Amino acid sequence: MAEPSAKAANIEKIVESVDSLKADFEDHRYICSDQIATAVYLAYHLRKPILIEGPPGVGKTELAKTAAEMFELPLIRLQCYEGLDEAKAIYEWKYGKQLLYTQVLKETLDEVLQGAKGFAESVNRLHEFGDIFFSEEFLEPRPLMKALKEENGCVLLIDEVDKSDHEFESLLLEMLSDFQVSIPEIGTVKATAEPPIVFLTSNNTREISDALKRRCLHLYIPFPDTDLEQRIIHARVPEIPPALQKQLVNFIQQLRDMDLKKVPAISETIDWARTLVLLHTESLDPQLVRDTLNVILKFQEDIENVDAEISALTSNALK
Amino acid sequence: MDRTLTNFIRALRNSEVRISTAETLDAFNAVELVGYEDREFLRRTLSLVLPKTADEKETFENCFDQFFSFEDVRGERHEGAGGAEDGEQAEGEEAGGDGEGGGAGGESQPGQKASGGKSKSKKKKKNSLIEEEEEEDLGPGAMSEPGSELGQLLMNNSKVELSVAMAAAGEAVDLKSIQVFTQKGLYTRKIMEEMGLGGLNREIGDLKESRKIPDRRLGQELRARRDWLREQIRDYVEKQFLLHADATGKRLREDLLRRVKLSNVEHRSFRLIQEIVYKMAKKLAALHSRRKKVFKRGALNVPRTLRHNMSYDGAIFDLHWKSVKVDRPKVFAICDVSGSVANYARFMLMFLYSLEEVMPKVRSFAFSSDLAEVTDLFERNTIEDAIAKTLRDYSGGSTDYGQALVDFKKLCLDDVDNRTTIIILGDARNNYGDPRTDIMKELYDRCKRLIWLNPEPRNSWNVGDAEMKKYTAYCHQADECNSLMHLERVVGNLLRSVS
Repeated sequence: MAEPSAKAANIEKIVESVDSLKADFEDHRYICSDQIATAVYLAYHLRKPILIEGPPGVGKTELAKTAAEMFELPLIRLQCYEGLDEAKAIYEWKYGKQLLYTQVLKETLDEVLQGAKGFAESVNRLHEFGDIFFSEEFLEPRPLMKALKEENGCVLLIDEVDKSDHEFESLLLEMLSDFQVSIPEIGTVKATAEPPIVFLTSNNTREISDALKRRCLHLYIPFPDTDLEQRIIHARVPEIPPALQKQLVNFIQQLRDMDLKKVPAISETIDWARTLVLLHTESLDPQLVRDTLNVILKFQEDIENVDAEISALTSNALK
Repeated sequence: MDRTLTNFIRALRNSEVRISTAETLDAFNAVELVGYEDREFLRRTLSLVLPKTADEKETFENCFDQFFSFEDVRGERHEGAGGAEDGEQAEGEEAGGDGEGGGAGGESQPGQKASGGKSKSKKKKKNSLIEEEEEEDLGPGAMSEPGSELGQLLMNNSKVELSVAMAAAGEAVDLKSIQVFTQKGLYTRKIMEEMGLGGLNREIGDLKESRKIPDRRLGQELRARRDWLREQIRDYVEKQFLLHADATGKRLREDLLRRVKLSNVEHRSFRLIQEIVYKMAKKLAALHSRRKKVFKRGALNVPRTLRHNMSYDGAIFDLHWKSVKVDRPKVFAICDVSGSVANYARFMLMFLYSLEEVMPKVRSFAFSSDLAEVTDLFERNTIEDAIAKTLRDYSGGSTDYGQALVDFKKLCLDDVDNRTTIIILGDARNNYGDPRTDIMKELYDRCKRLIWLNPEPRNSWNVGDAEMKKYTAYCHQADECNSLMHLERVVGNLLRSVS
């Protein structure tokens, strides 16, 4: 038992203050703003889930992954999609096994009922078996249930809640407010000593219901400013030359001010940085930008729009 | 401290951030954890707990700055005011300083001289600004003890006690329920009275009549301090008004605007109306964003059923039925944009296009004499611009409903199918032309619903050149519609009946 308690102590140490959290995130190559660190700090101390919103590619999912890595806890991930229901998210009965056992019971029925006096007693004996079929033995836990049963706590990531149906949101409510799920046949399954740290992410394709929002801390991650983005690039692509890193971030920041269908996010900046490193680039030039533009822009329309202004943008970025 | 937080939440709610009781409790827990010492930390914490959308976060930031800076400023002001008052006191001493060069004066000559010059000029200014009755030049020296409670408080120089008394008085007169700016004076006076203005005034009056010099000196001093206090209270009321009442006033105006006839809306209220329209649209969108499924009982979804029953050893007992997702309503809006109804058209189009999220398929047509499709305008421009352009381009000419219907038939009768809802907005005043009810009948037969919205009150529908009677026969629904409330109801019904 020494190991889990050491783990717990470790987590305690990490979340002691916002600054220590930030430092630890940085050690794991996740550069976060004070706001993000505060969110994780509060989530841990208040035992509340965090609902993370923001444009795609700003590191919402990454935050949960890094947190799991940092706390040395297992990450359980539930990807939401339209049509996701409790059988896939919470639990399902192992029908095959139940069926098999029923067959076995059928064959040994005579033995079981041997010596039973009268109908009432026979039914009583059968009842004992009936309950067994709906016990935890026959329960197939799905991500949410697994997260509750994790002995030493875990990080639960419910990704893209906005993609799921409204019905599923309601299913989550019990889980999020009390860290428990109710199974009609068994009863309520509560979290073990250490409840999971829950992250929900949303791309805002639709409004999340108030009931769900009310139960969560709400964290909005915007695009980072120049300074933060430079640090992120530095942490993620350490081999990039400093001069190039600065130009690259400047260029991306300019793109974000333009009227584009999809503006490049951090993940695109990182991809681009990797690409440029791979090409042994020392400094941006219009031709190179033009050739690699498809790394950061994902719509032909956007590429055409930006193409016309590449030289201006590049020279601005070089300043 | 708890009071501060609830007050803050109140202010937030006033700025239309929705905060539930549960969230208030969360905020308390969070504040307990982080404390009030680090302002930035507190701001970050509360911004995680209280506002729950990006919009709300922005409002929150503003509110936080305003609210908590106010607390700061109040603290500072009292220190500042203390300084000012000390200055005033020095002034008082200086004014009569010639008579008495006390021991204290000898110790700090230069400084006193400098301040003396300054205070004299100030005094002159004061005299020229406010025509005060000539004050006797009374030497300093012993002042009598003030008799009234407020007088004692003022002479005690205790800013903390004063501000506490001020807040308490504000509480007592229910300053938080202040609603419109004209009440500011009233509340200032009420607070003054609550703090004991009556007694103080009496005392000042008595002291003036008094023969003893120390008494008169006290009277002057008290008067100065009373005026200073009034200023303080006025500021206090002003701040409270901004925090609490501004929003209430706005809500009052909004409520009014919802009900007022749209043609009577003044131009300066357009912005506010627009806000209301967006708000209403947002509410409707939230209500109807849920895509409902209709289950067709009786049509078995064979593949799904088989798949699901594999686990039951192929025994089919858990049946799955075919279901269809209900389509979003397809709306054709035909708007009369001639002078008399242009305003209504403006707001209906605004409403329809604000609902984009739940009604992606709106096509709009505008006419006064000839009809044309304006859907493109709305796709390429912002809603306001598109409306302005529509009104500019199509609002001339006398109304001809018959011609408009003919044009509509030519333009897109083929696109009207049994899922289409057609909304016609107009007063049906056809200038005695041919109403072409035959086309109306054709539309009526083809579409799912045909709704006529008429801005005129029902009893004038058939007066004069209005053809409402003939048209109503071919409408599924004909309603009077001349305020935002009506509009909301109609559009709400539209979404409900279709989805």
